[in-house]
Amino acid sequence: MKCQSCGKKEATVRYYENINGLKQEVHFCIDCANKVGLANVIDIFSPMFLPISEYHLDDGVACKTCGYTLADYSATGLLGCPDCYETFGSSLDDVFYKIHGKNRHIKMPDKLSKKSLSKEEAKNKEIKELKNKIKELIEEEKYEEAAKVRDEIKKLER
Amino acid sequence: MWFNNISKDSDVVISSRVRFARSIEGYKFPHMLNSKELNMVINLIDKAIDKDEYHLFKMRDIDEVTQNSLKEQHLISKEFVGNNDGAIVSNEDNTIVVMVNEEDHLRIQSFESGFNIDKCYENIARFTDALSEKVKFAKSDKYGYLISCPTNIGSAMRVSVMMHLPALAKAKLLNKLFDQAMEIGISVRGLYGENSDGTGNIFQISNQKTLGVSDEDIMYNIKLVVTSIIEQERKAREILLKSNIALEDSIYRAYGILKNARTIEEEEALDLLSKVRLGVSAKVIPHIPLEQIQSLMVDIEPNTLKTILKEEFNKEEENNKRAEYIRKELI
Repeated sequence: MKCQSCGKKEATVRYYENINGLKQEVHFCIDCANKVGLANVIDIFSPMFLPISEYHLDDGVACKTCGYTLADYSATGLLGCPDCYETFGSSLDDVFYKIHGKNRHIKMPDKLSKKSLSKEEAKNKEIKELKNKIKELIEEEKYEEAAKVRDEIKKLER
Repeated sequence: MWFNNISKDSDVVISSRVRFARSIEGYKFPHMLNSKELNMVINLIDKAIDKDEYHLFKMRDIDEVTQNSLKEQHLISKEFVGNNDGAIVSNEDNTIVVMVNEEDHLRIQSFESGFNIDKCYENIARFTDALSEKVKFAKSDKYGYLISCPTNIGSAMRVSVMMHLPALAKAKLLNKLFDQAMEIGISVRGLYGENSDGTGNIFQISNQKTLGVSDEDIMYNIKLVVTSIIEQERKAREILLKSNIALEDSIYRAYGILKNARTIEEEEALDLLSKVRLGVSAKVIPHIPLEQIQSLMVDIEPNTLKTILKEEFNKEEENNKRAEYIRKELI
């Protein structure tokens, strides 16, 4: 997006105006943003280590799971629990944009490893897991079930 | 140990690391948990790992010197030292080292000697996939892996390559190179301390951005930058060594001091070893194996030295012991 002030350079600064309750988003390039005197303007392309406290995030909302607030986040730079991301998502999206240049992740694969197990490896893995299961069952004194698992292992090892 | 070996591109690259941060679903992040809850996290991990390959050690059972030595070997973070509610999971050769209850429930790390991030990734993916069958990680479609610090969400992966760049440093070309790396979201910092200028000319190159990028893209960018820095460092070494005798002289002087000093501080030793490392990898000093210098650079750190010599000593004795150790080890 081009700068809404000069219309020439790429807009890298987002600014929210609040006029009589009407929220408006304005996009400027870094030069124009400095010219119109937006305080604490930070270029999103030099965002490596910006102090979180610059954001003055606080809307009084607390996370239902852990009780964390955005003020806590500003103070520590950390969130309280995974659910905080849902609770504060709309406020954080801007921070993410500044840090990462994006605020959504890509689709993730279920498994990271490109290598799939060979038949032999898969079998060994299964046997190992069954052996662990036997241990647990014996500890729980479930001997009949343990015997069944033992038979399963025998079948696999054949 | 992996760093006692040398590997691909070891003349310029000391080691490669891939790190994943993961949270366990249903738990608040570590800084919000009490000791009892943190211990529950440890037990959960302890049950989930394959005991034939990996072992779990509680930090409270590891003495202070050993903890600090692990920090000096860059296997754990300095923030993790003294964390009594934490634990370490590792395999025999420390190619996998996991910090449990550091900033996140899990900081999984995979190490290799030399420039080998593909191998690191393969190992860490295998470990993490196996773990994910037993433990559910917190993640969302919007933000990827959900962890305590929002600067690392998304892939939650940090790829770091530790490089030895004495010739580029001498030719004063580093700043320009680092500015270029910054432009594509790769950060560079001196090894010793966050803002250090790179004592021993050792620098860590790593990705900054983690959200909205695939693991493959992150790896690709790191490879691009590191490969280009390797080439330029080699070129700079060749030019500097050919142009005059000054560099060769400084290498041999460094060797001379290390071979003869009776007392030496850590920083000076590191600085001189850096010069000798350059001499060894550029075949100026052909008789010393690179593995030996690589090991020495870690062995001479205060706590690691204590664990090797199996004795306690004060600062002054430390310097004497260090000098003696180097004289003995260096061929």
